[in-house]
Amino acid sequence: MIIPVRCFSCGKVVASDYVKFSDRIKDIRSNGREPTPEEISSTLDDLNVHRYCCRRMILSHTDLIDEVLPFS
Amino acid sequence: MTEQRRKVERGEGEYNLMSLKILKAEDRFIKFSIDGITPTIANALRRTLLDDIPKLAIDKVIFHHGQIRDREGNVYDSSLPLFDEIVAHRLSLVPLVSDPKMNFREECACEGKGCPLCTMSYSINKIGPAVVTSGDLQPMGNPDLTPADPDIPIVKLGPKQAILVTGEAIMGRGKTHTKWQATSGVFYKYHREFVVTKSELENWTSVKEKCPLSVISEDSKTIRFTDDDGCKAVRQLLDYPSVKVIEDDTQFIFQFETDGSYKAIDVLEYALKRLPQRLNTLLESLTTPD
Repeated sequence: MIIPVRCFSCGKVVASDYVKFSDRIKDIRSNGREPTPEEISSTLDDLNVHRYCCRRMILSHTDLIDEVLPFS
Repeated sequence: MTEQRRKVERGEGEYNLMSLKILKAEDRFIKFSIDGITPTIANALRRTLLDDIPKLAIDKVIFHHGQIRDREGNVYDSSLPLFDEIVAHRLSLVPLVSDPKMNFREECACEGKGCPLCTMSYSINKIGPAVVTSGDLQPMGNPDLTPADPDIPIVKLGPKQAILVTGEAIMGRGKTHTKWQATSGVFYKYHREFVVTKSELENWTSVKEKCPLSVISEDSKTIRFTDDDGCKAVRQLLDYPSVKVIEDDTQFIFQFETDGSYKAIDVLEYALKRLPQRLNTLLESLTTPD
């Protein structure tokens, strides 16, 4: 639905990092290619998201709030 | 690989002097080593850092329901794409810059009614279409106690939707709820030394080149490395059986990060003061049988 504010496991705030992360991925996609695994990994490292509990919060998230917006 | 552990060597009632060295300090991250403590105390400190630091978090949210009008008289609807409960929960998890001098509500002079000494109010007033972020939380009262991170999305507003809420933040501790948890990723490890006999392993020169700061001591026959600073090349020494690994269970390398409500160094300072208080609580609750 919308990115959880904190990591479920460790409590680090990940919501603001998700916004920055998806912006950078969009930048790469606007060049007409998919980001490589190395690029994704280094983007997360740049954002100081080092632990795998926080990384899965961002990587496995699907933002569906735009889909439910017309029905509220 | 022979693994040896140096035990705390001391007689009854005799303690080593504790010393603390800060290895790396940033606003929201700190790494330090503590010498002269036992694993029990190290773990007690870890738990204090995690769940016993008082900080502000929103505890009560009041939603305005019905029509919301802007200055030009346009009418907006207060219904949101997320349930009010979810929005309230998301607001509570936002880290707020905190003042450690604020009272707990139950211990405050106002006797739990809520006063400026124990309560901080915030409000959001925004009209759609827009993304409501934590930066839209307006502090009412002390202007220093703003959200520590202004970019957290709370909810998205469609056209003709608006949000008008007020929230009350109170002090609490991480053991009650994660929203009052000021730190995350609190880890510690033993100080570890790798003793390499130069004649048995030729690889040591490349490790020394990659991690010059990890060398503790060197003479003509042996060289000692440590992986305290996390230099990755040192770890490959674990693959060689001739390297002697010594773990020291009296010296600990700690690290943690904060969510922005306090500086990392302030949290550490508070935790070190808080730890003896916690132990005293145990001591005071013990009664001798008649």
